Amino acid sequence: MKSFFYYLCKRLAAVLPLLLVLPFMTFCLMHLMPGNYFDSLRLNPQISPETIKKYEALYHLDKPLLAQYFHWLENIVHLDFGYSFAYKQPVLKVLASRLWNTFLLSGVAFAAAWFLAVILGLWAGMRRGSWIDRILHFIAYTGLSMPAFLLSILFLALAAHWGSLPLGGMRSVGYEEMSWPLKCLDVGRHMVIPVTVIALHSWGYLFRVMRAQVSEIVESDFVLLFRAYQVSPHNIAFKHVARNALNPMISIFGLELPSLFSGVALVEIITGWPGLGQIMLQAVRTQDVFLVLGNMVMISVLLVAGNLIAYILLVAADPRIRMEKP
Amino acid sequence: MDDHRPRHLTFRVFCCLSIVCLIVPFANPAKAQVSNTLVIALGGAPKSFNEIIAQETTTSDVTGLMFEGLTRFNPLTGAVEPRLAESWEVSSGGLDWIFHLRRDVLWFDGKPFTSRDVVFTFEKLIFNPAVIAPARDIFTLDGKPIQVEALDVFTVRFRLPVSFAPFLLALNQSIFPEHALKSAVDSGNFQSVWGVDSSPEAIIGTGPFKLKRYAPGERVELIRNEKYWKKDASGKSLPYIGRIIALIVPSADGRLLKFLEGETDLYVLSGADYPLLKPKQKKSHFELLEAGAASGSYFLAFNQNPPNPVHREWFKNRVFRQASAQALDREAMIDIIFNRNGVPQCSPLSPSVPFFYSAKVPCYEFNPEKARQMLKAEGFADRDGDGYLEDKKGNPVQFTLLTNAENPERLQMAGMALEDLSRIGLKVNFLAVEFNTLVTKLSATHDWDAVLLGLTGETDPHFGANVWRTDGSLHFWNAGKGAVKTAGEDEIDGIFRQAASLMKAEDRKKLYDEWQMIAARELPMIYTVLPRTVYAVRSRLQNVKPSPIAGPLHNIEEIRIKE
Repeated sequence: MKSFFYYLCKRLAAVLPLLLVLPFMTFCLMHLMPGNYFDSLRLNPQISPETIKKYEALYHLDKPLLAQYFHWLENIVHLDFGYSFAYKQPVLKVLASRLWNTFLLSGVAFAAAWFLAVILGLWAGMRRGSWIDRILHFIAYTGLSMPAFLLSILFLALAAHWGSLPLGGMRSVGYEEMSWPLKCLDVGRHMVIPVTVIALHSWGYLFRVMRAQVSEIVESDFVLLFRAYQVSPHNIAFKHVARNALNPMISIFGLELPSLFSGVALVEIITGWPGLGQIMLQAVRTQDVFLVLGNMVMISVLLVAGNLIAYILLVAADPRIRMEKP
Repeated sequence: MDDHRPRHLTFRVFCCLSIVCLIVPFANPAKAQVSNTLVIALGGAPKSFNEIIAQETTTSDVTGLMFEGLTRFNPLTGAVEPRLAESWEVSSGGLDWIFHLRRDVLWFDGKPFTSRDVVFTFEKLIFNPAVIAPARDIFTLDGKPIQVEALDVFTVRFRLPVSFAPFLLALNQSIFPEHALKSAVDSGNFQSVWGVDSSPEAIIGTGPFKLKRYAPGERVELIRNEKYWKKDASGKSLPYIGRIIALIVPSADGRLLKFLEGETDLYVLSGADYPLLKPKQKKSHFELLEAGAASGSYFLAFNQNPPNPVHREWFKNRVFRQASAQALDREAMIDIIFNRNGVPQCSPLSPSVPFFYSAKVPCYEFNPEKARQMLKAEGFADRDGDGYLEDKKGNPVQFTLLTNAENPERLQMAGMALEDLSRIGLKVNFLAVEFNTLVTKLSATHDWDAVLLGLTGETDPHFGANVWRTDGSLHFWNAGKGAVKTAGEDEIDGIFRQAASLMKAEDRKKLYDEWQMIAARELPMIYTVLPRTVYAVRSRLQNVKPSPIAGPLHNIEEIRIKE
């Protein structure tokens, strides 16, 4: 147990520099773009250059770049991630206002992709070469090779043609007047297109990993032994093969966790889902620097947290994984 | 038994999930009653509800329904009408203005609207050094702020440092409640007050609608202000509409789809939508209402003070600019970019600007042959037989045309202008850049040759003074180190200075007519074409009188919904 915590602390210490370097690189890249957020006001004949200068001074944009960055870094210690120029609000407040929507969308898509990848990957892996395996393989490749934006547009066009699903957004116009079950159903209907697009994309990848793992394990000696002892195929699949095949899937989970909040931006924008994607695109385009930095920190923290959670899950799922003594 | 349990469990979970997945898409919850509700789609989310510090239209689109000024600009007649002020008197040659306020106006929380609120808005908000209010630039005349004083509970006096003709129009500036905002101003928190996370009840105005709910990035919901002061001819309280739901739909295609599906009641057409929507009017229960040429402008401009002295000589040459204007095929631009739904623009003002627009301004007809001859007379000729012109000294006439990459209409227009200019022998390279890069080039580095750009429209030419006066910060075509006044610029400076202080509208119009003629002669900006503004309006809406300047909802309190 001691070595487990030691390993956790060691991993945390190793990622701290990453948490410092990533925002700094983002900050530098944002400043490689010419001008700043308030440049868009310069073409407004009714706003004087003096007013623009005042805005720049208010948000410390008139200070040297490094001074701006260290000022921001200093505030982070007090959990102050700076101000969004556009929203005139603390960055954390702006991010928090959209976080739940993005989490709901990507969480459902993530869970669906995982559940289906494990079940279908196991099924296809146990029946390698069968027609069901080939069909699933084809769908997985299609999902992987079609860009998410194209799939979103395609599904929206189909929905417009058949009129059975809402065309973007998160709730219907009369949402407030609905009863609770109808409200859930309404949000659920709005989620169908974005969730399908996101889930199909990551399912394709996860399915292939799971299927490959299962196919390899099925060939191993211990499975042959179980078969010789006439253990039921169902038990072999669920109790032995699935458990052994899950390890790489858990590692992937750690890497995929940050994409819960960052990987669905494009789909959100196209399907009009009011999540982080829309404000982040706007923030990058208009150079709302601290909002972009805040989001970057959030994604970095999730990456680190995802890896740690994956490690803990790996330890729980596979007793063979033991830490080396320090 | 043990062997079968997991199989059953997995099977059941899988079946249940599959059934849910199949039901959800097709189970459409019964359409809830949305009676007397106007549903619109906004292109962007409001960033704040604090109109004083707001800079973007996505905010003012919403706050415009909640706050009002002392006066109101009628976009259909061009007249300035009373709003929170009932009447006014002007004396001392336009330096003293006394406004008599309405006595029947209540804030959303029931407190009366008084002269203290007007004084507070100007003294504590607009002219407060701790608050950055873009409106301060409008009310600072000759470097001095205007003075505001409450004469009694319902009378205010404004003292102007110099006479300022568009003052009445400028007073459509929204007024804010002292009792609701004083503490925020005193504690220095005004800059972050009334953000998008505020409770709707905290946002207090006098307008026809008040905020009911804001779901970030998703929708803004406004409800009728029961205490609104305005009544119709029969004495019935306005507004007629009970609720407005503004959905936030960033993509233009999304807004079109939602309108076609009947989810929204209004849609602003772009050129490409016209042939799609026109035949669907009856079946989808809507009408296309044409409001006239859009406000604003699209223009091609040459840098008359570029770093390269050879280019400077070409671009400073008025005939060169006139020949370029003559080369632009505006009809083709209207056909291709706006689907035949546009008008050529000849004056700096859009034809939809009431009163000040001059129809006498001559237009440059498309005539590439004449353009070639004009250039030839100035010494531009194809001396090496490559199909492109060289100037008198043999320098090939080659330059770069810039525009911002985010605007598809400008990109298309720049592409067509490039072809038109090539047709008369000018070799033009095209570069689409990010908006901020363009702004940096125009306002700071001045290293550009030609640009295709647009500016927002003004209802009074004075508000474009920053562009036209040589000391204006947006006088981009002749700016930077070593800029020398060009022909006509002295006259234009004089016109803008004089017209701002004249109190008779007719006298001002004469001056601004002259300015439009000089602009057409000197062509610092070669205007191209404007789209016609067309709104698709659901048939159940009555009394919609759209204007290209103020949109379809400027008379929102008078719009009815026929159930």
